[in-house]
Amino acid sequence: MPEQTALLSWIIRKAIRYLISGFIVLVIVFLVPRLMPGDPVRNLVGEDVWLSPATLQALRSEMGLDLPLNEQFIHYLLDLFSLNLGYSYHLNGPVLNILLGRIPWTLLLIGTSILAGACFGVIAGALTGWNPERWWARTLTGSSLLISSIPPYILGLAFLACFSFYLHLFPIKGLYDTPDIFSIIYHLTLPVLVLTLFYASRNLLIMRGSVISERGLLYPQCARALGIPRQIILKRHVAKNALLPVLTLIALDFGFLFSGALFIEIVFSLQGMGSLIYDAILLRDIPVLTGSFLVISVFVILANLSVDLISVLIDPRVRMGRE
Amino acid sequence: MNQRENITKKIKEPVLIIAISILLCFLLWSLVPQFFTSCDDHTRYKPYLYPSFLHPLGTDDIGHDILSLVIYSARISLIIAFTAGGLSIIIGVSIGIISGFFPGIIDDILMGLTDIVLIIPKIPVIILLAAITRPDLMLLILVLGLFYWETTARVVRSRVMQVSGAGYIQSARCLGFSSGWIMIHEILPVIYPVVLPKLMLVVAGASISEASLSFLGLSDPTMNSWGKMIADAFTHGGFIRGMWWWYTPPALCIVLMILSCVRIGMIWEQTGTETAFE
Repeated sequence: MPEQTALLSWIIRKAIRYLISGFIVLVIVFLVPRLMPGDPVRNLVGEDVWLSPATLQALRSEMGLDLPLNEQFIHYLLDLFSLNLGYSYHLNGPVLNILLGRIPWTLLLIGTSILAGACFGVIAGALTGWNPERWWARTLTGSSLLISSIPPYILGLAFLACFSFYLHLFPIKGLYDTPDIFSIIYHLTLPVLVLTLFYASRNLLIMRGSVISERGLLYPQCARALGIPRQIILKRHVAKNALLPVLTLIALDFGFLFSGALFIEIVFSLQGMGSLIYDAILLRDIPVLTGSFLVISVFVILANLSVDLISVLIDPRVRMGRE
Repeated sequence: MNQRENITKKIKEPVLIIAISILLCFLLWSLVPQFFTSCDDHTRYKPYLYPSFLHPLGTDDIGHDILSLVIYSARISLIIAFTAGGLSIIIGVSIGIISGFFPGIIDDILMGLTDIVLIIPKIPVIILLAAITRPDLMLLILVLGLFYWETTARVVRSRVMQVSGAGYIQSARCLGFSSGWIMIHEILPVIYPVVLPKLMLVVAGASISEASLSFLGLSDPTMNSWGKMIADAFTHGGFIRGMWWWYTPPALCIVLMILSCVRIGMIWEQTGTETAFE
């Protein structure tokens, strides 16, 4: 059947792309600390630690850094399969454990914001796209354009300055004072609000554009001619078709879960992945940086994969091999 | 299509005039900063001064006049945004044209490359590279330029595929013009309505990235940019002292620049929506 062969060749071509991207990410993580100027042992351990030449030599052979590069790469891959991401000498622990300690907080912060932003953005975007000439639709579109043009950290700083610093409504920093649920909610409200605004405005703009282009097509006009109320046309017919670009955007947001929060976590001093990466940048803590980069990349690649799968499952045009 | 008339009509819109004059103002700041301020960006006065007649925006933690810093920083911010944007557009347009003009194996390889660049997470790669090497202006421009061409390539490719079957291109082929000549003289002039908005969007994206990287302390420490000013205010006590006149102006400049770029990019947007019954 032609449809199935088209699908098969599509799968093969996509698979090759994902394998190459994954390989490039691995090579970057492998090569960056080894080929950078300076001693690789120093790069991995950190420049501000004093080591005697004997210790340096011992570390070098222990990490296998005196082997040729191709053997090092095999060792490195084997390490990855046993989930060994390296050891941070600054934070004195295996990188994997450090990451696992930070991931839940970031997941809580970003996961909530993405979901809230997706719900609000899709609904508001569908309504503004359906009635683009109304005053509230114009206001929403304009403010979304404004918000999505502001770098997220500037928006965060502005909110922190207004609501925490001058109005004293929210705490300045941290995840909690006492580890109970109310304190955590109190501390996370403002960062979640900023991120939600940011995600919602982008989703709104995409959904609005998508609904506007669907609205001009033949089938909604036909439905209206049949006497179906406008709200039901939007809900049952147009929204479903318009949803695809937004769904892929939301899936990609989940892929950038850990790097998306970077700036917001720094601004609000939350102890998640983002502030971990920031501290690692300041200390030149290469194992933590490469480890976080690897985790982020794996998530981004998985998100892209799920975008492709979603579009195949939802959209028959993609399934026929007509992208 | 009376696109040219459409554009001249749109240029008279007040919002657009404001956007263009903001960009022109920043351009003037970056060309002749000394005309706009009586101080310069390296003389040191008393630190943490409040706004006064002599220093309309006060001074920062090492005593630089903040107004002059804002004006002098325009240069680096504009250079990074426009050179990185230009570089990525050149790469994207060339890859898009070649890929759209030669369907088959070349198209497959180039689009595969585009997909791969699309998949690889960019900001983390840039952070990793900048954190490990010494932060440097050229490196930042190169990395931003080399990473942000993929959407341009896709848009250009689909537009080229639409036009390459057109009669005038067929006849150019029959007349024996080489593919290179056709690509430059026949295709390039018709795809600019999709390229120019992309350019403005990429410039806006590059300035967001530059501001974000400077905030992480990953920009060239010897160069002043708006992002670096905000980072300094955040880490060197401007924020906790409530010196809003320190961090608000550069933030405002970044946002205004991005908004003007986005607004100017919207000139070429098609306004007429499709109607079902024509």
